[in-house]
Amino acid sequence: METDWPKVLEVFGSGIIGVFLVMILLQILTQLSTRVIDFVENWSKDEEAEAESKK
Amino acid sequence: MFNILKELIYSSGAVSLTGGNLVMWLVAFVLLYLAIKKQYEPLLLLPIAFGILVVNLPLTFLMEPEHGLIWFFYHYGIEQDIIPPLIFLGLGAMIDFGPLIANPKTLLLGAGAQAGLYVTFFAAILFGFDLQEAGSIAIIGGADGPTTIYLTSKLAPHLLGATAVSAYAYMALVPIIQPPMMKLLTTDHERKIVMSKLRHVSKLQRVCFPIITAMTIMLVVPPAAPLISMLMLGNLFKESGVVERLTNAASNELMNIVTIFLGLSIGATMTASTFLSPKVLFIFFLGLFAFVVSTAAGLLMAKFMNLFLKDKINPLIGAAGVSAVPMAARCVHKVGSEANRRNYLLMYAMGPNVAGVIGTVVAAAILLKNLG
Repeated sequence: METDWPKVLEVFGSGIIGVFLVMILLQILTQLSTRVIDFVENWSKDEEAEAESKK
Repeated sequence: MFNILKELIYSSGAVSLTGGNLVMWLVAFVLLYLAIKKQYEPLLLLPIAFGILVVNLPLTFLMEPEHGLIWFFYHYGIEQDIIPPLIFLGLGAMIDFGPLIANPKTLLLGAGAQAGLYVTFFAAILFGFDLQEAGSIAIIGGADGPTTIYLTSKLAPHLLGATAVSAYAYMALVPIIQPPMMKLLTTDHERKIVMSKLRHVSKLQRVCFPIITAMTIMLVVPPAAPLISMLMLGNLFKESGVVERLTNAASNELMNIVTIFLGLSIGATMTASTFLSPKVLFIFFLGLFAFVVSTAAGLLMAKFMNLFLKDKINPLIGAAGVSAVPMAARCVHKVGSEANRRNYLLMYAMGPNVAGVIGTVVAAAILLKNLG
């Protein structure tokens, strides 16, 4: 049976590009979420510290 | 009396033995030796080896469709896609994504290692395998047993035994296969690079990661859903800290039970007629090729990233992008400490190591989307 070379190249190309795109997207979302969470956690720590100092 | 004895003999499996059965017994004994004496991945190789042995005993009908005991394990566990996702549930309950969350760019190292997978796909086509077979062989380079089994059961189930044994055998041989590649593709100076301390990862970040990852991957690559959802659910059990019983069950009892059924079912697919062909030798060779190229791809990806990074990464950790958790990370640490005794690379290598698990699932899902 003859090899479907266009399909082979499609699988090869879409595979490599697809994996990288997904992992880059995941990296961006992870970095974004950790920064947001860091900001929120630091902000609430500052709020608590301020409330404690007022007491 | 003589007739009874004659009937007993002729109904026995012994008279139906073929040369192929005897060769498969030898394969089973070798795998039993590797599992028990050498302790190469014994949790899987032992039940696989026993499965090979019993299925090559004639007239047992253990793999007879709708009747055989092991056929039921295989049909409902593997063909119906239940066992590999449950293995991933257990794996997720054991994995620590902390080093990855602390340094998310190591996700790219997990991606880099998967490039080797697609190079092997190409090579398998050149060797004469069809598209589905080439996809099943290529995934061996991901060094992930459950993903290999999941994909192969869908694309080329007749290759299941060979690809699974190949994947688990090469995972066990990581300490032998990877170090020469690491030393070949990195300089002594690069191996000595000390990376900066990983940032602290809060509990909330650890809880959010599996949710974000599951949603992102399932939205972008839906065929990854069975594996990635279970992996992230297991991890959420662990990181939430509120379902200790479920975490313990997933990572211990459940994992152990499904491992038994998985190994036995995989081994039982390896009958003489399916396994004893020149194709299988090519599969073992291409599996090794996939592993080596994936390791190289991860290393080269790390070196490439260093061209743009101020805070350099030790390129050795790129080799951990193959998802042989935690063997590849330990191997990286060992080679790194040989170059620089004060360098403790294990935690840094765990980042790409667990990224490789995610990367292999994504790669398998894309292969399934294109070839399934």
